[in-house]
Amino acid sequence: MTLAPTFAALGDPSRLAILEQVLAEGEQSAGALSAQLPVSAPAVSRHLKVLCDAGLLVRRVDGQRRLYTANPRKLRQLSEWMQSHRAFWEPSLDRLERALKEDDND
Amino acid sequence: MTELTLTRQFDAAPERVFAFVSQTEHLLKWWGPEGMTVPVHELDLSRPGPWFSEMHAPDGKVYKVSGQVTEVDPPNSLSFTWAWHDENDEPGHESHVRFELTPKDGGTQFTLVHANLADEQSRASHEDGWTSTLRRLERLCADATT
Repeated sequence: MTLAPTFAALGDPSRLAILEQVLAEGEQSAGALSAQLPVSAPAVSRHLKVLCDAGLLVRRVDGQRRLYTANPRKLRQLSEWMQSHRAFWEPSLDRLERALKEDDND
Repeated sequence: MTELTLTRQFDAAPERVFAFVSQTEHLLKWWGPEGMTVPVHELDLSRPGPWFSEMHAPDGKVYKVSGQVTEVDPPNSLSFTWAWHDENDEPGHESHVRFELTPKDGGTQFTLVHANLADEQSRASHEDGWTSTLRRLERLCADATT
């Protein structure tokens, strides 16, 4: 499941807030993000790294500044996954598989 | 219209897998992603007729889905319709789910086809995400990619 790290990255309210901010405002510097969110600059920096590693944000360097934008390709993947009912069936079938195994052991 | 197909290999005979995907007591063991509870249901897919499930997410959100079981052929296949309910509790766009079971390698090859899914525009108007976070994200994704 290649999207698992993506969802893990979004499972944090601060990171979701950062992503929302970038989606709403467009390209943002780390400084601008920490000014707008109730999160310390070092924490923002750590969250940005997680979001970049998960492919949700893309970083570019402009002189002294690091600027962050959302990665439309990854967002499209997420959106398609959620709208395809995979979000219901994949985890349900995982549970079905486990239920069959547990029943086996009884 | 789009279609979702998922295939799994289960280490159990088709008869047993069929029981797990059609009978209420077994369905309740796996219906919905982890953390969902199904306190209200009419989840019997072993006979033609109506079915219904009301799922509660850990964050308190309630998701209702209902449909009609249209075809039951144990232990080979099972078909039913599927519609999420909207905020007024009215069933929305109807899609079609089919389970197919085939004996394979001493177990069962299970294929799920969820067909006639709504196109992107009508999907966007339906509340079919799984948590408030995911639903918010879905809207954000749509904004970001259009």
